[in-house]
Amino acid sequence: MFNRFTDKSRKSVQAAFEEARMLGHDSVGDEDLLLGILRVEEGVAAEALSSLGVTLEDAREESEEMLSDALSSIGISLEEIRREAGDAFEMRIPTHRRLPLSPRAKNVLVGARKEMRRLGDNYLGTEHVLLGILSNEDGTAVSILVSMGVSTEALEDRLFKLRGRAAG
Amino acid sequence: MDQNTRTQVGGTGDPRDGLEAVVALRRLLEALEAAQVENAFIAGWSWAQIAEVLGVSKQAVHKKHARRIKDRYPGEPPRRKGRGA
Repeated sequence: MFNRFTDKSRKSVQAAFEEARMLGHDSVGDEDLLLGILRVEEGVAAEALSSLGVTLEDAREESEEMLSDALSSIGISLEEIRREAGDAFEMRIPTHRRLPLSPRAKNVLVGARKEMRRLGDNYLGTEHVLLGILSNEDGTAVSILVSMGVSTEALEDRLFKLRGRAAG
Repeated sequence: MDQNTRTQVGGTGDPRDGLEAVVALRRLLEALEAAQVENAFIAGWSWAQIAEVLGVSKQAVHKKHARRIKDRYPGEPPRRKGRGA
C-alpha cells in the first residue's frame, strides 16, 4: 500500500487511522486522511493547509459537528447523551478493533497515485494525497474544508506554489 | 426541532441525508453500547447477565467489550459485588 510513499505521506496516512479511531469512525474516511496530514504537520500539504488557516483542532471540531448535526437532524442530541451517559461514554474505538479504509479513502489513495503520475513525480508525497482528497468532490473532507471557508481552488493553487520550492 | 427540518431516517427524503443519519446512529450506538456494558460490569453484572439483556451470546459480548474495560481500568475494575447472580 505504501509503495513510493515518502516518510511524511506514510506518517500522515498512519496518523489518519489514529484520528479515525479517536473520533469513533469505524472506517478511515477521506476526512481522516485530511486530519492525518494536519496531525503530522510535515510536508507541502500541511504547509498549504496551515497557510490558509486550517488547523487540526478546527477540522476535528468540524468533523464532530457533522456527526452531531446528523444526529440532531433525526432528533437526537449528542450533547445530552454525553451528559447522561457519564464517563463510560466516549466515541473512541477500542485499540484492539481494526479499522479498514473506507471506499472513499481508498479512492483518495488511488487518486493520489494518479496525481503522482500526472505530475511526472517518482514519489508519492502529502501533496498528492491532498490532491486526491480534493478530487473527491462529494467527499466529507471537501465538505469540511468548504465549511471552514477554504476554497478547494485556492488550496490547490497554494499547493502548487509551495511545491515549486520543496517536495514531500 | 421543527418537524419540517427533520431528516426522515425511515422515509423517502434525500437519500444522502438519510444514509448519513444512519452512519451517525451506528457510531453513536457503538459508543453507547460500550458505555452501557461498562456501566453494567462496574455495577457487578456478570457477562452472562449483560449478554442475556443484549440478546447475544456471552462469548460475543465478552469478545467485544472485555478488552476495552480492562484497558480503561488497569488492574482490577472497581466492581460492586454481584447483582444477586
